[in-house]
Parts: sequence; structure tokens; C-alpha cells
Amino acid sequence: MVNKLNKRFYNTVLSQTFTPCGNYLVVGDIYGTISIFHLSKLVNQGSTITRQDQIPTNSFTIKEDIQINSLLTTKSHLVVGTVGEILGYTWKNVKLSKKATPSWTIEIPNAKDSFEKPDVNCLVLEPENNVLFAACGDNNVYSFNLETRKNIKTFKGHKNYVHCLTHLNNKLISGGEDGLVLMWDARTAAAVGKIEPYTRDKVSRPELGPWIGGVGINDDWLLCGGGPRLSLWHLRSLNISTVFPIDDKGIHVAEIFHDKIFAGGRSPLFYQMSFNGDIVIEIPTAAVTTYSAIHQDEPFQTLCIAGSSPKIDVCSNFIYKNLQLSLC
Amino acid sequence: MVKESSREGSLKKKRKTAAAADSETDVDIYKKSIEFEEKEALARPNDADAQIYFNTCKEIRQLFGEISELKTKNNPDNKMKIMEKTTDVCLLLVLLKKLNRMEKVRLVFPKEQLATEKQKVDSINLQYQNLLYEANHLISEYRKCFQFKSKDEHIELVPVDEFLLEAPENLTKKFFKFDENDEMMKHELRLARLEWELQQRIHLADMCKKLEEEKKKLEADITERKNKLDKLGPLLATVMEATKPVQEHLGLHIDKTLAEHKLASLLPNSLYLFYANIDAYRQVNDKSMNVEIVGDQDEAIQWKEVELNEPVVEEDDLSDAEQEAEAQESEEIVETKKRRHRKSVHVDPLEERKRKLLQVHPLSIEVTVSVKDGPSIKIKFSYYVKLEIVTVSATVDIPSNITGNAAREVLSNENVLIELVEGDFGLESPNPCTSYQLKRVGLGSFQSLVPELGYVYGWAQKVCGIDYLNKQTNKFVTKQTADHMSQTNVELVMKTVKKRLKSRYALAKQLEDLERNVIPTLPATVDLPRTTISSLTKWSSSTYQDFCQAKFTESLLETDLIFPNDIFYLATVTRDSANLQAFVVIKNDYPVAPPIFSLSLNYKGAKNSQNDDNIRDMERAINVDWNHEFSNANWLLSAQITSLCVCLDIYLETDDPSTFQQNTMYIKSSCGRNRRKPFKFRNIGVGVYTQ
Repeated sequence: MVNKLNKRFYNTVLSQTFTPCGNYLVVGDIYGTISIFHLSKLVNQGSTITRQDQIPTNSFTIKEDIQINSLLTTKSHLVVGTVGEILGYTWKNVKLSKKATPSWTIEIPNAKDSFEKPDVNCLVLEPENNVLFAACGDNNVYSFNLETRKNIKTFKGHKNYVHCLTHLNNKLISGGEDGLVLMWDARTAAAVGKIEPYTRDKVSRPELGPWIGGVGINDDWLLCGGGPRLSLWHLRSLNISTVFPIDDKGIHVAEIFHDKIFAGGRSPLFYQMSFNGDIVIEIPTAAVTTYSAIHQDEPFQTLCIAGSSPKIDVCSNFIYKNLQLSLC
Repeated sequence: MVKESSREGSLKKKRKTAAAADSETDVDIYKKSIEFEEKEALARPNDADAQIYFNTCKEIRQLFGEISELKTKNNPDNKMKIMEKTTDVCLLLVLLKKLNRMEKVRLVFPKEQLATEKQKVDSINLQYQNLLYEANHLISEYRKCFQFKSKDEHIELVPVDEFLLEAPENLTKKFFKFDENDEMMKHELRLARLEWELQQRIHLADMCKKLEEEKKKLEADITERKNKLDKLGPLLATVMEATKPVQEHLGLHIDKTLAEHKLASLLPNSLYLFYANIDAYRQVNDKSMNVEIVGDQDEAIQWKEVELNEPVVEEDDLSDAEQEAEAQESEEIVETKKRRHRKSVHVDPLEERKRKLLQVHPLSIEVTVSVKDGPSIKIKFSYYVKLEIVTVSATVDIPSNITGNAAREVLSNENVLIELVEGDFGLESPNPCTSYQLKRVGLGSFQSLVPELGYVYGWAQKVCGIDYLNKQTNKFVTKQTADHMSQTNVELVMKTVKKRLKSRYALAKQLEDLERNVIPTLPATVDLPRTTISSLTKWSSSTYQDFCQAKFTESLLETDLIFPNDIFYLATVTRDSANLQAFVVIKNDYPVAPPIFSLSLNYKGAKNSQNDDNIRDMERAINVDWNHEFSNANWLLSAQITSLCVCLDIYLETDDPSTFQQNTMYIKSSCGRNRRKPFKFRNIGVGVYTQ
């Protein structure tokens, strides 16, 4: 029966990335499927987009019903963070093969003998030394050398699983389910700072919990949000400078991009704000909760917003949504 | 000419006034002078006269000049000179006059000549035209003669080649060297052929007469034999009558089946086909099934007779006159059938046509299918002769253990057969002609007639071998394919009906419990915990409108999976202060398509799949994560509702552990970036929920 309600209707996208060339969008969903969209073709097509164009040009399943938590682009490989392992696929395989096989695998070092394998919630690359950081479900952040694929350091400090990571100038910031935002020296794995937003009355929201879903950083400022409100912290003094007045039930995406703040989460809108808390742009999203928002300037400006919906919103000018992709 | 006559006139006047006495001689001189002048005029050359004229004019001008000169000088002796010159001028004027006269004469002569010539031409022309007319007349007469048709031309003759081959040689031999261009020869040939034709025809007429006689003889023979056979009939009947006690004694029901089969022969073609196939199916596959022909036998016999007498007229080709004739005919039938109608013979013709169109065959077939210890359904197939469709009406015998309203509803008469095949609601006639036929007699859509006529499911037409698209093709082939179609479909349809009845009964049994807010107990094989704290507190019927109006159902409506014909319920599951409302949409082909749940939780605000990922996950767990085998019919709905209770427990226990004590087994309350809750059941140990 074709018209039976199927699970695709309830699909959720947790991670997205662009290919190195920027012409394709790669998307990972909770059913373990990687889908590839030919973005440049669609953007150039303009208004004459049919339903056929909205579906992926290629897709393959890594493992049935194992969610793909994170994706990362390197020059040669697509790095996929699923549950308990990190997989590397060559780009050629990703774009063309219906049954792609990974060219390498990194098992997450699993000290505890739990039968639940840890999720790889976030992947970040430090391109200079080719180091991969992975935020995992076993409360740790691991760093791996991408050449040897050996574990270099383990960052221990969180008391619950780690949601998000960001990296800047040897500084690594992580946010976890336990509500901590930890700052690390990326080379030594030593914790150099810590904030606990849920303890501050200004930002805490007890009904949503302490967890931190998204962190962002630049030279002077730190952005974080989750259960607590989205807030901007001064890096040196570790004091709250701005609390963003947005209507959400939890933040999952937070990023500082040039002089703007990008934020999304359980809210029907995706926000772009200035540092002082003014909302610049609101983009309505197809998803109930936004889990991933990625953007690029080259070869063409694109912002892709995805979350708990089989549909992905694409904004080619960052201002309004002008294209919708669909996983089914 | 005019001038001349006027001049003559004026001359005559002069003569009358001046010299009336000496007329005779005067006239002669005048005539003579005229004649002379005429001759002179013709004799003299024109050019010379012209020259004289110019010279004279010149002289006159000169003289006038001199006179005026003299006058201006005003000398006394000039007067004389002037006189002299005046006289000269007068003389010259006389000369001019003479010249003028001669000119006139010269003009008159050619004119006369021209006139005579013209007359001559006219007469010749007239003569020519007369001749032309005569010639035309002759040509047309000539043509008429040629067009004359001789009688022999209409006679169809044996072709020349055949004639030359078959006719005796003495007739044909001179034509062997037949020349196309020889008209005489041609004529003779024709005469010969005509003669030959005559001979042939006489011969054939004789033969015809002979055969005619032979035929008569054979006819007489046949009637004689027929009479003999007729006498045999009653004899056999008495023998049959005599054997009856023996039959009864032996317990054979030959009679009953015989009667049934006799009745079957009166069925319309399509129902007969169905009857034959379903009866065969019953005997082989399903003895519990019951097949019966119902209706008045006498009426059916009458019907058949009428049908035989009535010439088959294609409805579509009826002209108005024919229509009237047909209407009258049908009135006659009515008269013979029912005396009561006699008084109201003049019925409204439109009403009459309506009645005629909606005529149903007096016989119909009743098939009873039953589930062991459960309901049974009686399906009645009737055939509408003019509409050429089979309609179905069903009655369900609901067992006494089903009492709830919702439960009885899913087993209600028409509800059971709805969408037996997807999208087949039986409301629109499968015959494309129907809508036109109805329009012609002023009836609306077929849908409005359904309560009166019955449902026209597509499968009902198929089991009767009716295929509208192939109707036009060769009759023989159609008969075969119809039989084949009926055969293959009867089995399929009957199995589906039985399956449907079973699943509906299973559904009804569950609804029966649910209406009393009891979740039916699940069989041991179903992997679900039986201890839930949340419980079903309300179960009520709902409608498509209610479903559409609820905000949280929006995304499901967009999927085009929910139809107004589905069955809607509203369930409420409660735990302490939290209550979960769920729209339950049961598809007509339950359990092939499992019921669809749409949830809305009232706990710390209204939460649903539009604003809460966890509710969305919950819907997924209930709607999608099942393997839907047919055997699940007995417990699928119950299992989903049990699952709903468990999910609510998990949601509340993980969301607010301080208020809701943990009852379900789970390891992590949330996991992954999407912080998903453990709605997935794993059959490990006593059963554990994971993400």
C-alpha cells in the first residue's frame, strides 16, 4: 500500500553539511540515511522547481534506524558521526553510490561497558593540524588525528552527554546536557574555564532544564543557549552581556557569524540578531525544532535550515526562504 | 436635313408671297437651278471651294478695313467710295452664300448613302440570327434523341465475359471477334445477351417453384413430429409425479435444486453468470455460505416473455416516434400486469420514462456470508435492466454480544462493504452511460438514488461479468471474457468480504470494550508492558469535521491520508493532572492500513506534534512502528492504545521525574542532540524502553 502513513512523515534531520565544492548539500536523518541534494542546480533553476527536483539526487543508508547525529566536510572525505563510531566516506562514493561503504572507521573509545553506544553529537575540525574533535554521548569530548585516526586526547569534565562544540584559536568550547559550558585548551585537554548558565536567574528556565544545546564563539564573546535562554557572555569576565528576547522552548543552534547571531531551536522561527539583542530577521521554518543551520558564501550564498521535519528550508540570501527540499 | 427642309419651307413662303401667279414656270426654274446646283456641288472639288471661301473672307475683311478707314477720315467724297465698297462686300457675301449652299448639298448626299447601307446590314444580321436559332433547336432535338432510355438498360445482365463462356455456341460464336468500335455489332451483342437472360430467368423461376414445394412438405413433416413430442410432455410429467414419493423416501432434493435452477434460468444474463459462479464457489470452498434466488417467479416468467416479444431496440438510437411507441407498449404491459393501473393510463410521460429507466429485474440473488460465532452479512444483488448495473444492498446480523453504539456502527449495514476495494464507495455508477440516461429523464446525480436503488460497487459489476469498456466488442468474445472475469472475481471478492467481516467483527469487539473505557487484554505474543498508570478515560465517536477543526491535526491532513469516509474517534488518556487527547482515524480497510492517531497533550500548556518533538516521536511510535499483519486485526487497535498509555507514562516520567514516579523501565531519560525520549520498546528482560 502506497498511501499508508509511513515513518518518513516523521523524519528528522539532525545534521547537514556542504560538499567542498559547495554545489551539493549533504543531509543526515534519524533513520540512518544520508541524502544528497544538487543545490547549485536548484538555486539556478529559479521558480520552475517541481516536486521531483525537491527530492535527493542520491541517498544511502548507513545503518537502519541509527540516527546520524553529525556530519563534517573535509577536503577528501565526508565524516559521519552516528552512534558509537565515526565513519569516513570519499566524496565520489557519497555522490554516486547507492550503497556506499566507508573508507575508514573510528570507534569511540568506550571505557564503560554499557550496552548503549555513545552518540557522536558534534564534530569539529581543526584544519591546521588535521585534528578532529568529537562531542560524545559518554560525557567526553575526544580529539583524533585524522591522518592516523588515533585518539589524541580525551576531554573529561561533563557530567552528562555533550551536545555541542565550537573551536577557535586553540580554544575549544563545549556545552552539555548537564548545563555546563566548558572551555578547554585544545592541545592539552585542560579545562580552562567554566560557566553554568542555569544557575543565573537572568537566563535560567527550570521548566526546560539546564542543558546547553548550542555554543558559539569569537575573539571576545561567547554565545550559549539551550534550556536556559540564549545569552552572550563576555569571554574574559565571564559575565552575561546580552540576553536575547526570543520566544523559544529550547535552543539547539547558536552561532556567531561576522556581526550577527544565528539562533534556532524549538520555535517556529529561525532568528538572526545583532549583538545588542535586536532581532534583525525572522525566518519561518518547516521544522518544529531546528537542529541544524549551515551556511556558505562561496560559490553562492546559501543558508540551509533543517530539523524535525522531512523538509529542509533553503535561503539563498539569508533573508527569506525561497526553496524547500524534501526527503520524501 | 432639318436645315434643308426649313430652307425649302422658307423658299416656299417666298414663292407664295412674291410670285403666286406665275407658279408653273417659276417652279421649273427653281427646280432646275437646284438640280444644277446639286450637280455642280458634287462636281466641284471641295478644296477649291475652300480656297475660294478663304480668299473671299480675306477680301471682305480688306474691304471692311478700307471702309472703316474712309469713315474715320470723314471726307464728303468718301461716302461714294463707301457705297461702292459696301456693294462689293454684298457681292462677296452672295458668293459666300452660294458656297454655303453647295456645302450643304455635299453633306446631304453621303448621309443618305450611309442610311441605305445601314439598312442593308440590319437585314443581313436578322437573317443570320434566325439561322442560328434554327441550328440550336436542331442540336437540342438531336441530343434528346440520344438521351432516350430504352427499357432494356435497366435489366441486370450477365457480364459479357461470362455470357461468352456460358451461353450456347450458336448464340455467341459471331461475337468472338468482337470489335469495340462496331456499333452494329455491339447492338447485336446486346440483343443476344438479352435473349440469353430471358432464358435463364425462366429456368430459375421454375427452380424456385420446385424448392418452394419441397419446403412446404418439410414444414408439414416438422409440425407432425412436434405434435407427437407435445403429447409426450404430459406423459413424462405424470411419470415425474409418480416418482416423487420415491424421491422423498430416499431424501434426494432434486426438486429443490431443480426449482432453483429453473429460477436461475429466468435470471438476467449477468446475475445468472454470478449465480453459476458463486454457487460453484460455495460448493467447493465455503459450505457455510448461503446463496439464494429471491423474487416472484411468475413475474420473472412474465418478464422473460415480454423481453422475448419485445424487439431489441438500442436505447440510444430511439427517435421520438419510436420512443412514444415504446411508451405505449410499456403501458400495455402495465395494463396486462396490473389492472389497477388502467384508470391512470395517461401518466406523465416523463414519470413513465423515469419508472421505466429505474426498472429492476424481479429476481435478485442473496448471498449470506457469516463468521463463526460472529456476525453474518446478507448481500443482495439486484439488476437494473435499463441502467445495466448491479446494485448491492446489505444487511448485517449483529451478534448479541455487541451492544455499544460505536461497535454496532462499524458493523452497520452499509458500513461493512464500504471501500472493499480502495476508493470504491459505490456511490457513482460505474456505467458511463448512467449519468446521461438519468439526465434524459430529469433525474439528478446517481448518488441521490443510492438509498433507493442500493450501492453500485465496482466489484459487484465485476462478479457479474459486466465490463463497460469492452461492451462494444464482439459479442462472442465478450461472453467468454465476462465468464472469465466473473469466475476470477467471485473468489477474490468473497474472500475479501469474509476477511472484511472478520476484521470488522474484531474491531467491533475492541470498540465494545473501549466504549466502556476498558482497554481489551492483549494476547501474550504482543510485546508491550501490561502495567500502565495512565488510563483510558474517555472514548467517543467523532467526525471528519471535528478532526479538521482541531489545530493539531493540520500536518496529517496535508498528507492526503485522511478521508471523510474514514471512521473517527476521540480518545482521552489521563494520568493525574495530565490528559492526552487523541483523534483515532480508523481506515475502512483496517487493519491493512493501521489506525492513525493524532495527539494533543494538555500538561503545562497544549502540546502536539506541531510544537513538541516528543509528541511527534510519540505519534511515530504509535502510528508507524508496527508490523501490520492481518492476524493483528484482533488486537492492533488495543495495542496502539496500550502503547499510547505507555508513551504518556514515559513522557511524563522523563519530563518531570519529581512529580511522576517512574513506573516504566528505561535507561536514559533523554539522549542525542534532539534529546529524544525512550519511546522504543525492547524485549530485553522484563522489557526496556530505549531511544
